[in-house]
Amino acid sequence: MVFSSLEFLFVFLPITLMLYYFAPKNIKNLILLIMSLIFYAWGEPVYIFLMIFSSVVDYIHGILIEKFRYDSRKAKLIVMSSVIINIGLLSFFKYSNFIIQNINDLFKTGFNGIDLPLPIGISFYTFQTMSYTIDVYRGEAPVQKNPISLAMYVTLFPQLIAGPIVRYQTIAEQIENRKENIEKFACGIKRFIIGLGKKVLLANNIGMLWNEIQHTCINDLSVLTAWIGIIAFSFQIYFDFSGYSDMAIGLGKMFGFDFPENFDYPYISQSISEFWRRWHISLSTWFRDYIYIPLGGNRVGDIKTYRNIFVVWLLTGFWHGASWNFAIWGIYFGIILSLEKIGLLKLLNRVWKPLRHIYVIFLLLIGWGLFAFDDLHIGYNYIKVMFYASNVKIIDAQFISYMASNIILFIVLCIMSTPFIKNIHSYVIKRSKINNLFYENIIIPITYFVIILVSTAYLVDSVYNPFLYFRF
Amino acid sequence: MKRQSDKIFIIMFIIFLFGISVLNILTPDRVFSESENRVLQQMPKLSIKNVLNGRFMDKFSRYICDQFVFKDFFVGFKSDIERITLKGENNGVYFGRDGYLLEKYKKPGKALYNNINAINDFCNRNSNLSTYFLLIPNSVKIYDDKLPKFAKPYDELNTIENVKYKLNSDVKFIDVYKTLREHNNEYIYFRTDHHWTMLGAYYAYKQCAVYMGFTPNDINDFTFKTVSNKFYGTYYSKANNRHIDSDSIQVAFPKFKVNYEIYYRDNDICTNSLYESKYLNKKDKYSYFLDGNHSLVTIKSNVKNGKKLIIFKDSYSHCFIPFLANNYEEIHIIDLRYYRLNVYDYIKENDINEALFLYNVSTFSSDDSIDVLRHT
Repeated sequence: MVFSSLEFLFVFLPITLMLYYFAPKNIKNLILLIMSLIFYAWGEPVYIFLMIFSSVVDYIHGILIEKFRYDSRKAKLIVMSSVIINIGLLSFFKYSNFIIQNINDLFKTGFNGIDLPLPIGISFYTFQTMSYTIDVYRGEAPVQKNPISLAMYVTLFPQLIAGPIVRYQTIAEQIENRKENIEKFACGIKRFIIGLGKKVLLANNIGMLWNEIQHTCINDLSVLTAWIGIIAFSFQIYFDFSGYSDMAIGLGKMFGFDFPENFDYPYISQSISEFWRRWHISLSTWFRDYIYIPLGGNRVGDIKTYRNIFVVWLLTGFWHGASWNFAIWGIYFGIILSLEKIGLLKLLNRVWKPLRHIYVIFLLLIGWGLFAFDDLHIGYNYIKVMFYASNVKIIDAQFISYMASNIILFIVLCIMSTPFIKNIHSYVIKRSKINNLFYENIIIPITYFVIILVSTAYLVDSVYNPFLYFRF
Repeated sequence: MKRQSDKIFIIMFIIFLFGISVLNILTPDRVFSESENRVLQQMPKLSIKNVLNGRFMDKFSRYICDQFVFKDFFVGFKSDIERITLKGENNGVYFGRDGYLLEKYKKPGKALYNNINAINDFCNRNSNLSTYFLLIPNSVKIYDDKLPKFAKPYDELNTIENVKYKLNSDVKFIDVYKTLREHNNEYIYFRTDHHWTMLGAYYAYKQCAVYMGFTPNDINDFTFKTVSNKFYGTYYSKANNRHIDSDSIQVAFPKFKVNYEIYYRDNDICTNSLYESKYLNKKDKYSYFLDGNHSLVTIKSNVKNGKKLIIFKDSYSHCFIPFLANNYEEIHIIDLRYYRLNVYDYIKENDINEALFLYNVSTFSSDDSIDVLRHT
């Protein structure tokens, strides 16, 4: 199930909220566990056993680590075993076809691929479960003795499918003692509605433009069409992903949790290093805490530091998908980040601010060009069109038509990529210290209501399916 | 003070979420949707098997969507927002000038070439038959002056030229583009539907006479009568633009005396009228012409000239054939989408001497049923 669907909004969520708030305190976690399993089973019922398996394995490992806490060799073996099982699960479902195909290409063999659908959110929850055993091993979080609580952490539906990747130590305390209150609930509602609007109204709509351009024959593209195509994709991926994170954080708040932030207006960054501190923060943090720093981080001499950067970015690339373009995409950022570390950053600080933005946006767009096409060949040709390196027109009527019909959407997307609205909001609140009741109690709630109403209309339309006594 | 607005938010959210949920439960489930013209999903049966194979969840999701309250309000609302934000279209249908809805035409893919090959193949295998191809442009091309500013659908003329070029020279291509273009200030396509009107069909009929060698009836041999002015067609259902006026359906009744015998083979019904007025009270009013879609329909007229024509067609033919029926002794109409028997045998058994392929550009660019001609 996804958050941006009618059955989630108008069946699953009301039922879950009702059960949760009417349940006595000691079974609230059980309710969340059961509802999370139903949520997960909705798309792929069989994989619910994978979730249960994951939870059981991590529970046992946690207990064992605690038991052998003072036998560091054994504890280390146990944490290794947990990591291997988690990585094994992830590799089996996500990477085995990719590996088999590369072996076939390399050695001209003919092994068959494994025909299994990818369990939803597996990249997210295996990372979370690993964080549990590692945190327990490191003594950064207490062991969880209650299997229901741990299973609830593993399966918790708000962040199950697309993050944020919540490290166990971050919410260990909240699992047992969290306080739901009116303020938090209202805050969660606001956050959820914003996320819903981002996903349904912004990401989905600009996604249609990208979809159309992506499926245009490369020879029919003009240079400018290729550019707005990749700009559209940049907006789509940001609003889709950050919208989903907002919804997750909002839902978390409704159930009393405080999840970490995942996005912080990444497109206003002034360097690529800054961008990665603002984009998918929970993933960068995970890689930093569990890979980069354990490898020695930047305290092991220059050469090893750059090696560490490349390892992390190659893995980051592959985490996004089992395909070479993601590896290239990861390495691409590895290189830019290294260059910025070497001295580019100091240089950047001296140039005019708008130029820094242009630098970041230009590199990001090229990056998304690499990211968007699984097929390296097509991606290469697309980027060639962007740089006028193939025999195409610079501008054509198609481009003008795309711009004309999406101009308002583009303006909205640009504004929403910056903290502009947020700043105006704080300004209004600050200016009208006493007499802001009208603004707070009328204007703002109506705005949110309009967003959820319009989002619902778009969701209904997307499943509105007229049968047009078709063509014949 | 802070708490007050928090409470407002919670109340608003709860009322909206729970309100719609409860209304969804309380409103009785509908079986059929007029505006969507289809049967709606009912509450699926809950069983362990259905849950384990995921079918229950699929159907339940569809059930919630199909039976959603205020559905028509929401889709109309969405269409309005698309209009206000200058999108110029909704769900692939342009909001054109003068209340016209025009469907975006996209560059055709492989299906087009398969279809051309299928017709060429048919022609080669039936060399004793005169084969004609009437390819009808859609309103988006003929009325392109009504497109919103900057709208740029793929040019149907490219497709038409392409087909002409690739078609076997033994297939006579009936070019109606110019003719229809000349009449584009008249009501030759519906504003809210993907079909042409009977008037548009008449101009094409006149053009066909030149190629197919018969004497067409004059337009004054017919009286045009309006049988309905409440027709909201498929473009209307797709675009959901509630600010568009309905179409009227005008039918050309001959002033001269002529009798037909129409036989709908698939449901074994015989009638004397080319029109079925029962559809005029339904949503699907275009089915008034020749009772909508059938795999095989034969029309025999009292014109005794020995001319026997087979037509492979889409629904554009339904308001066109009534003209042709006055010039042929027998017309056999086959819809390749539903016809499952061997057409070559059928042609032999019925001593057919002419064949006409009649498709609109949009269907011909995407339909995959014409291909069966190559595989029988």
